[in-house]
Amino acid sequence: MNDLHWMTVAEVARAIAARNLSPVELMEALLERIARLDPKLNAFIRLDADVAIHAARAAEAEIASGRQRGPLHGVPVGIKDIIDVAGLPTTCHSKLLIDNIASTDAVCVSRLRGAGAIVLGKLSTHEFAIGGPSFDLPWPPARNPWNTDHHPGGSSSGSGSGLAAGLFSMALGSDTGGSVRNPASACGIVGLKPTYGLVSRRGVFPLSFTLDHVGPMTRTVADNALMLGVIAGHDPVDPGSAATPAGHYTSALERGARGLRVGFVRHFHEEDMPAEPEVAAALEHVARTLQTLGAEIRDVRLPTLGEFAAVNRVILQSEAWAIHGQWLRERPGDYGQLARRRLMSGAFLSAGDYVQAARRRLEMIGAVEAALRDVDFLLCASAMDPPCRIDDPEAVERTYPRQARTPFNVTGHPALAMMSGLSSGGLPLSVQFVGRYFAEATLFQVAREWERAAGMENKHPPLT
Amino acid sequence: MEGVMTMDKTIVELLARRAGLDKALAQFPEDVAAAAKQASDSVAKMKAPSDPRAEPWPPMRVGAGL
Repeated sequence: MNDLHWMTVAEVARAIAARNLSPVELMEALLERIARLDPKLNAFIRLDADVAIHAARAAEAEIASGRQRGPLHGVPVGIKDIIDVAGLPTTCHSKLLIDNIASTDAVCVSRLRGAGAIVLGKLSTHEFAIGGPSFDLPWPPARNPWNTDHHPGGSSSGSGSGLAAGLFSMALGSDTGGSVRNPASACGIVGLKPTYGLVSRRGVFPLSFTLDHVGPMTRTVADNALMLGVIAGHDPVDPGSAATPAGHYTSALERGARGLRVGFVRHFHEEDMPAEPEVAAALEHVARTLQTLGAEIRDVRLPTLGEFAAVNRVILQSEAWAIHGQWLRERPGDYGQLARRRLMSGAFLSAGDYVQAARRRLEMIGAVEAALRDVDFLLCASAMDPPCRIDDPEAVERTYPRQARTPFNVTGHPALAMMSGLSSGGLPLSVQFVGRYFAEATLFQVAREWERAAGMENKHPPLT
Repeated sequence: MEGVMTMDKTIVELLARRAGLDKALAQFPEDVAAAAKQASDSVAKMKAPSDPRAEPWPPMRVGAGL
């Protein structure tokens, strides 16, 4: 079998279950690829090769004996290094937690393992999932496989980089201000921030309790739906967990776009933060394509990106200060500069600022809910620029806030980012679809239709 | 928000010491100043709720979440 590394999760799971593919053969192929490519990409902080090979052999034996653990039996997965995997360090890419060994799996990891997935290792992130690419941490930042001089997005950087490079079939990320959707956008993969509370956060190092989401990251829309079906569902021990049961996320995948009403939030990228022309052109192309396929496009207005971003920052910085204050008082030098600056901001916000942000947040939820009463989903920008150079701190600082992802951390609505095309420089451009609460199936439906129409599932970086 | 003042150096140092950031202030004064600027910029860009009766989210709620 050729190109094992580009097989989808669904293809791998089917081939392994039918005994047409050995999980050991797949794991060995991926480990060889990781050994060859990861020194240039830095997607992994910790590769757990021996344990992964052992688990692949166990999976092979179980399947041979007729035991099928679940829909992901034998499928390799990478885990962002703020998420606990029993027996491995959860470092959060920081010197502060370099020896922090997890005693149990996070709920999302436990659910993946329960479905038969095999953990390959822990993946690079921005320090404590905030800041940006840093060169003053114990591990180097991940790089973009489309061009290793460029930023892969973050903070789930290793998840995006490794998926786009074919180092594993699926990955877990987390998203507090866009950290699943940013690397999905920069690396040309599919990243979903589910509805707040749909996926348990237990065992995930917090950044901001009311903004944190765990999300699936994959190379195709169908794989994302499959993975969400495994990790979603109520967790009575996570205080933010929704009581709503997991949905049937693959059921609507092939229903097409005919009859769907699309709210196009043009002011995000035309007025609030004017996008690079090729980003804007790609968004118009997505809208026109969906219209051609039978969807109805309407313009929708929401509060401005600047307002959403301010509310997101005040809440995030206040909650993060509550988590990091003690370490920042005692060990400020153990943080990298970017995280130190961001995390200390909370010390300069008042209780009143936080409550005002929370009150404004409810009004913003009302505005998005009102918009979604008249349409089935929203279409808008994710990033306003193609990925910038990773070694240019001014470009990182300028482009990082130019995005339309934070609104949906503020409101908790599900949002999916994926590739809209390639820039003239050969780097991924992106689009974002946003749905009603718990309507992830509709997002997968429209995202699959765009992916199919544009042939996105077959676009990979030209790695050698 | 209207009426939000930017923080001068004295206020930044006062707030940093009140928050226990003496060590950071001594070792990384520029980072402390940048953090304070980020905070005041964020508050300045935030609109106050339009209705004085506006409630915060998430609300105090007994039992299940969303």
